[in-house]
Amino acid sequence: MDALTAITVGLIAWAFAVHLPLVYTVLGLTWLLPTLELIGLRKNDDRYFDVAKSLSRYLIFTYAIGGVFGTIVTVFLAGLLPVFTNAAGVLLWPVWGVAIVFGVAISLPLIGFYYRSFGKMDDAKHIALGYGLAVVTSVIPAMFRLVFAFINYPMGVTAKPDPNSIVGFDLGVDLWQALGNPTYPPLLIATLAGAIAFTAVLISAVYTWRYAKTKDEHYKIGKEFGAKVGLIFGVIYVLASVWYLYEVYQYSPTMAWSIFGSPPSYLPAQLQPVYQPTLNLSWLFYLDVILGVVVLAFLATALRSANAGLAMVAFVAVIALMDGAEVLNGLAHLPYAIVPSPPVALALINAYGANFALQVADTLKVSALITPQINSLVQLIGAQPWLLSFSLALFVIFNLILLGGFYLVFSWRPKPQISAQQ
Amino acid sequence: MPDPSIQLDLARLVSAVGVLAHLSLASSFLGAIALAVIGEYIWLRRQDKEWLDLAKKFNIVATIFFGVGAAFGTLVEFGLVTIWSNFIAIIGTAIALPFFLELFAFLFEVIFLPLYTFTWNRISKWAHWTIGLLAAIGGYYSAYNILAVMSALSVAPPGLTLVNLAEQGKNVAGAINWLAAFQTPTDAWNIFWWGANVFIFHGILAAVILSWSGVAGVVLYLYIKEKKSWQVKLLKVVVPTIAVLTAIQGLLLGHLQGELVVEHDPLKLAALEGMFWSGLRTDPLTSFVAYGDFNHQFWGYYSWPADIRPPEFVSVFYLGFMVGAGILLGILTAGIGLYLLFGWFRRIVQPLLKPSVYLIPLLAALAAIGGAVSTESGRYPFILVQSVPSADGPPQIVGVPVYQGGLFNPTLQLDPLLAALIIIVEIAMPALAGYMVYLALARPPKLLKRLVEY
Repeated sequence: MDALTAITVGLIAWAFAVHLPLVYTVLGLTWLLPTLELIGLRKNDDRYFDVAKSLSRYLIFTYAIGGVFGTIVTVFLAGLLPVFTNAAGVLLWPVWGVAIVFGVAISLPLIGFYYRSFGKMDDAKHIALGYGLAVVTSVIPAMFRLVFAFINYPMGVTAKPDPNSIVGFDLGVDLWQALGNPTYPPLLIATLAGAIAFTAVLISAVYTWRYAKTKDEHYKIGKEFGAKVGLIFGVIYVLASVWYLYEVYQYSPTMAWSIFGSPPSYLPAQLQPVYQPTLNLSWLFYLDVILGVVVLAFLATALRSANAGLAMVAFVAVIALMDGAEVLNGLAHLPYAIVPSPPVALALINAYGANFALQVADTLKVSALITPQINSLVQLIGAQPWLLSFSLALFVIFNLILLGGFYLVFSWRPKPQISAQQ
Repeated sequence: MPDPSIQLDLARLVSAVGVLAHLSLASSFLGAIALAVIGEYIWLRRQDKEWLDLAKKFNIVATIFFGVGAAFGTLVEFGLVTIWSNFIAIIGTAIALPFFLELFAFLFEVIFLPLYTFTWNRISKWAHWTIGLLAAIGGYYSAYNILAVMSALSVAPPGLTLVNLAEQGKNVAGAINWLAAFQTPTDAWNIFWWGANVFIFHGILAAVILSWSGVAGVVLYLYIKEKKSWQVKLLKVVVPTIAVLTAIQGLLLGHLQGELVVEHDPLKLAALEGMFWSGLRTDPLTSFVAYGDFNHQFWGYYSWPADIRPPEFVSVFYLGFMVGAGILLGILTAGIGLYLLFGWFRRIVQPLLKPSVYLIPLLAALAAIGGAVSTESGRYPFILVQSVPSADGPPQIVGVPVYQGGLFNPTLQLDPLLAALIIIVEIAMPALAGYMVYLALARPPKLLKRLVEY
């Protein structure tokens, strides 16, 4: 991998690695908070409302930061991979459009409204508002995961030779076919279940640790609730992940090779040089499996006891597991930004010849999509490398402040107020 | 498939409403966070608890507007990806730098604003104020970078070259027809040239004037009803500041910006000033404002072909709304400000107080909308506008067109129903933000048993 590709991939991976755990917890909390309220309402137990309220503060803090990192991802994509992002916009505009209007634009103010209306609204209405928020927020991954599935396996894409095109071909897409992408359903289910399980494990881990130190019933409720939900949705996540890996193995040979460490058995020897991944990430895959076992062990114990040490290990392990899985999913494509699947490659060979198919495949590589010859940010960083070093130093500082902020948000418990307005 | 020209008009309408709504939210955030930090500073210096209460309230208001405004920023950003998709290629090839730098501004805002909100009474007072100041710096630096991009769209920065691939019979993947690139890599910094800074500070001051005018209207209304001391204290800060900032806008920044338009986009000048003639003609007033004499000649609006002329209505937005309403706002707030500070003009100002509840925000809104529309529509149908001298006629106006073959997504299908739905969302979001502010500040909670501290 050349230095430019490494910097590009590194910056985008960093933004994703911060963005995804944050938005996973946002998505998870939008489902878990009204559930806590619902349990509180049914049991007539205010402690569940207290847990929901204290966690909602985390929701606000996280959504804002997660949203900004989402914007950072987009800026990196537009600045570093402009042609790729441009083409993605042209081809997949309905996907972006739905995610924007029904997901981002509606869910963020609704989150604020949900947070600010705690205790200021009838309980049942507030719970309904919470579940409405959860549905709307789920539209965001439902759309963006289609883009990820498209990257795994560009189903529905057409590429026709065009001598006037600088890259030698024109792109088109059939959206209905794209929706039928076989890697999409398991990826979406794994994302939704994973987000809920991930958030539940975080809650359970932090509350177990706090309960072990304070013996406060507030934390016991959160600990046990998180462990139960984490177990149920963790199992769904594992099943969906297995399904997803099966589909990836079938349709995305570069990814499968990178994840499992060897080429898929169906891949002919003459196509292996085309589909060989840049990175062998099988170690990360096995590490994720081990981390999953650690988290499972914690959840099993959290139902009945409170081991602070194990809780902290699980807290770190589940974040590492989630980030590891996403990094695995994101980097296994390399050297491609979009993996040319064998059926598409064969169709192109049959229709236009092997050279054209290879030309398309080469153009889908990250190194080509950076377009260094016309990319102003890349050229500027090349001419003034201090800009990158300075930026990386600032990113490190901001990450440290961010971690400090998380600590503060988790460690401060809200104080009951005596009067209505102070 | 709907008519392409209707699609383009719908797309422009959707984008215009979205941008204006985002501007209103972003301006409200900038104004509110400034008031929170100023209020806390006055409290720290004078130990006046009313200023502490005000600072806390404006902190909540800033947080709400930041949250909703950030969502809108994302909306506008993805609007670029979906509607004006080829703009993304322009970003990568030319104007990525301010977007990249804005990331750091974002990080400042998003980390320090929640910290500021959640650390009242939990850390040392000056440390808390410093956190607020950093959040405010993040907000203003974010505005600085985005306004630099908007400035570049109106007047191309020095060293930028435009390449029309279609003219050379080329494209990229059948989708991209235009590329913009700087002559050397380090020319990318030219996006912050002095002309851009004039545009940027004009925009930032406009944001503060707009949001503080809204505050002035609400507080003046409350003051007329309740006559409380905190209301007078706040009005004494806000109203005179609006007058001073409006004067700076008109007499200094507006004038400099006008000079830039004269030099770099004579067609836009003709549209803004309502020079509706063909060929060269003397315009004494514009000549005096621009050059200090009465004899200078200007190319009229009809000197250029119809397909590159901006809409005629921009002169109404410029002269009528921005200039007219801006002057009235300056005079009104100067009068009320002098009355509040020194008791001057009592007989004139007192009858004006009641109507000023509505007049101050209305005039500020008209001036802001007038400025935004005349700036953005005045360059239509181009972005990255450049003026090329011509030996035998008006200067040639070039730029990347926004219509089909330029920035507009060639595969987009936007029907009126979808456009209407998007516009409803765009209007509903600022309304929701306003309702959230009302909930946070005015409405007492119904269920006290579960209320915990925010």
